Amino acid sequence: MATLRRHSVLPGFNLALGFTLLYLSLIVLIPLSAAFIKTFTLTWDAFWAHVSAPRVVASYQLTFGASLAAAAINAVFGLLVAWVLVRYRFPGRRLVDALVDLPFALPTAVAGIALTALYAGNGWLGEPLAKLGIKVAFTPLGVMVALTFIGLPFVVRTVQPVLEDLEKELEEAAQSLGATAWQTFSRVIFPALLPALLTGFTLAFARAVGEYGSVIFIAGNMPMLSEITPLTIITKLEQYDYAGATAVAVVMLVTSFALLLAINLLQAWMRRRQGQR
Amino acid sequence: MASIPFSRPEPLAPPPALSLARIPWVPIVLTTIALTYLALFLFVPLAAVFHEALKKGWGVYLAAIADPDAWSAIKLTLLAAVIAVPLNLVFGVAAAWAIAKFDFRGKNLLITLIDLPFSVSPVISGLIYVLIFGLQGWLGPWLAAHDLKIIFAVPGIVLATLFVTFPFVARELIPLMQAQGREEEEAAAVLGASGWQTLWRVTLPNVKWGLLYGVILCNARAMGEFGAVSVVSGHIRGLTNTLPLHIEIVYNEYQFAAAFACASLLALLALVTLALKTLVEARAHKEYSR
Amino acid sequence: MSIQVRNVSKNFGNFSALNGVSLDIEPGELVALLGPSGSGKTTLLRVIAGLERPDSGQIYFSGEDTTETRVQEREVGFVFQHYALFRHMTIFENVAFGLRVRPRKERPAEAEVQERVHKLLNLVQLDWLADRYPHQLSGGQRQRIALARALAIEPKVLLLDEPFGALDAKVRKELRRWLRRLHDEINLTSVFVTHDQEEALEVADRIVVVNQGKIEQVGTPEAVYDHPATAFVYQFLGNVNQFHGRVRRGIATFGSKTLAAPEHETVEDAAATAYVRPHDIDIARAPGIASMPATVSHALRVGPVVRLELSRDDNGELVEVEVPRERFDDLGVAAGNVVHLTPRRAKVFLETPHAAVGARP
Repeated sequence: MATLRRHSVLPGFNLALGFTLLYLSLIVLIPLSAAFIKTFTLTWDAFWAHVSAPRVVASYQLTFGASLAAAAINAVFGLLVAWVLVRYRFPGRRLVDALVDLPFALPTAVAGIALTALYAGNGWLGEPLAKLGIKVAFTPLGVMVALTFIGLPFVVRTVQPVLEDLEKELEEAAQSLGATAWQTFSRVIFPALLPALLTGFTLAFARAVGEYGSVIFIAGNMPMLSEITPLTIITKLEQYDYAGATAVAVVMLVTSFALLLAINLLQAWMRRRQGQR
Repeated sequence: MASIPFSRPEPLAPPPALSLARIPWVPIVLTTIALTYLALFLFVPLAAVFHEALKKGWGVYLAAIADPDAWSAIKLTLLAAVIAVPLNLVFGVAAAWAIAKFDFRGKNLLITLIDLPFSVSPVISGLIYVLIFGLQGWLGPWLAAHDLKIIFAVPGIVLATLFVTFPFVARELIPLMQAQGREEEEAAAVLGASGWQTLWRVTLPNVKWGLLYGVILCNARAMGEFGAVSVVSGHIRGLTNTLPLHIEIVYNEYQFAAAFACASLLALLALVTLALKTLVEARAHKEYSR
Repeated sequence: MSIQVRNVSKNFGNFSALNGVSLDIEPGELVALLGPSGSGKTTLLRVIAGLERPDSGQIYFSGEDTTETRVQEREVGFVFQHYALFRHMTIFENVAFGLRVRPRKERPAEAEVQERVHKLLNLVQLDWLADRYPHQLSGGQRQRIALARALAIEPKVLLLDEPFGALDAKVRKELRRWLRRLHDEINLTSVFVTHDQEEALEVADRIVVVNQGKIEQVGTPEAVYDHPATAFVYQFLGNVNQFHGRVRRGIATFGSKTLAAPEHETVEDAAATAYVRPHDIDIARAPGIASMPATVSHALRVGPVVRLELSRDDNGELVEVEVPRERFDDLGVAAGNVVHLTPRRAKVFLETPHAAVGARP
């Protein structure tokens, strides 16, 4: 280890890093690699057959489609919420601000049954919607609602600090140069928020793709129609189809890692942007 | 008046001269839309939990919580959190100490790897332990031969909980300790303090709010995790059900009031978590902005 | 206690922070390490403290090799540039820290801790702040607390990293005189790092000029200022005029002006620069022996002196001259006048890379 680092007078480097690497390997790295190693026992054709079965493909379409829609809704409304929380003062603002993190703190199963009760045909919101001919619970629309709930804080919490740090002088400069309020927003403020907004969008999307607990209650879980990919993994597991479950899991893991990479790149972009100022 | 949204935050109360043109329409409309959105997706679902839980009265509510299966689920949930939170706390402190107080190659890779569990679907977080410890897994035959059970038993639930709560403390402490630098630790060393003395008397008191923040979030997730523990639990009543899993079973048996009664406990936990989190944030902000 | 630095080198990656540095510090001395940023002066201080381990070379305290002694056992007092006070502890607890972390057998009793801390707080005249927290103190107060904390462990040497760097001009002046008096009182071997020549000249018994990981010169403030050993020291300490020319067998020629340079008698023919302080130039209306004609561009009154900016008539090079105000009034010159300059004192350095200039304690 001595060649790996610069000398420091503080002790405990070997102990701290050693424990960190050991614990990381035991809890995270070795178990995760198990998924990949298990997949390598399959032939390519078998792997492909597992991950491209019509029922699995339908689940990808639902999972990614609903996640994308939910993340888009949250991008628009999350930006609005962040704006309102930072720029306006109204009674109960601090309480609302604290409650934005509810989806992080509320167990997903609780969120799932609560949303189902609300949007079911006899629920507070389900009943009026049913009269309009809109059915939410036990349809793909319900999946989207659940994913919107769990992804809600991401955009708000990435945009909010950037908006708070935004210099007042920028807007005042734009206005002194004759820009209207809308021009000031679209040409000065929005470009400054864009990296944070994209980061929040990607975080919400990544979270939604893997989500399970809040979705299964409201989804109805009908194969080909309202079955999300994490559920197909569980279904395969319950049928002792370990190879099939793992193959689909590997597809999702690779997607997650790609999204993680995208998030890291976006955050690097965000830091560069902020560093410039 | 269109310039109002870009002016300094000011109260929404209309100005004294109440002419129509002077009402700040843009803020009012935007705030209304934002609050409606939050109400639909946050406040109403939260209210629904308590409404459904008490729909059939306090008697049903208390009976649902006093049910022996519910009680054992609560105990298992607490057990998983009591094991997972301290372990991940120790890990978080060790990782932050190594990363923030020393320079070494591969540091950024290590930080990314620590965050990895956040980007893994909960279902996969459970699956990977099944692949290792399950009957068909790598160690399955050996475990079976020695009469040890991990999957569909308590150890599996603890492992899955450890995985999903793995990054919480570390990711709070690492940036905080990096921002605080090494000078105070060096000063302690020059004054003759040993490594442990420096950690206990200088480093940890300096990051106590960040540490507490991480612990609160870690605990909330540990008690509320559903997907990962669902895969490894086996859903054995009274034995391997955590509270979220117990809720699912009761719900699927159409005992809605009972399910929501248990859910209301977790919702309360979430509210307490948010309150503590907000308090700690305020304290930390006060302390670290010095 | 004396400190000997023997041939110390330290690299950070490809950057050579210290390159074979040797230095002797006598017991009870107050020494300044003076140099520009990145010169290696802070690294040298940290190596002496044990906060950095040298790649090669040794450090001796009173003749005893301490190179391998851990910083915890080295018994040095170190004052950090940004003080590094423990922000969650009161001022009292900050100063008491070094006593409280001692092994149980050597730890003083609580009453003794109280007494010693209050004595130190009185020494730095801040006893009334004992129950405050660091963020409630001004920069100058924090600095003095950092010093009291360093002294609490009764160190053998006191090391200070840019002790006045973060303070405003007025506090800085007060505090450095106070430090000088304190040093005379407690008489502890002390080393401080600074990039401010005025600070070094005013406070230190001896100055060590550091540049690019090497020692350029060691000497009393007078010696370093009046007899700079190298071109770098000349430029770094005070303003200086440079006259570019050539040296041939002990005679230096700069435009129309010649100077005797006996120290370069063996030099056949080489490019050279003469360094002359602005206040070492005489100014006259009439030409003198080998004087140099120049035209006044500006005259700036700065307190008791007048700073003249002139351009030489032979090659247009800029010259700065400082004269007392009375002398300037007697001369009665204004912008546009031609005057005649005569350097009273000059030092000629060859323009070859100063390879021969190394550590010369």
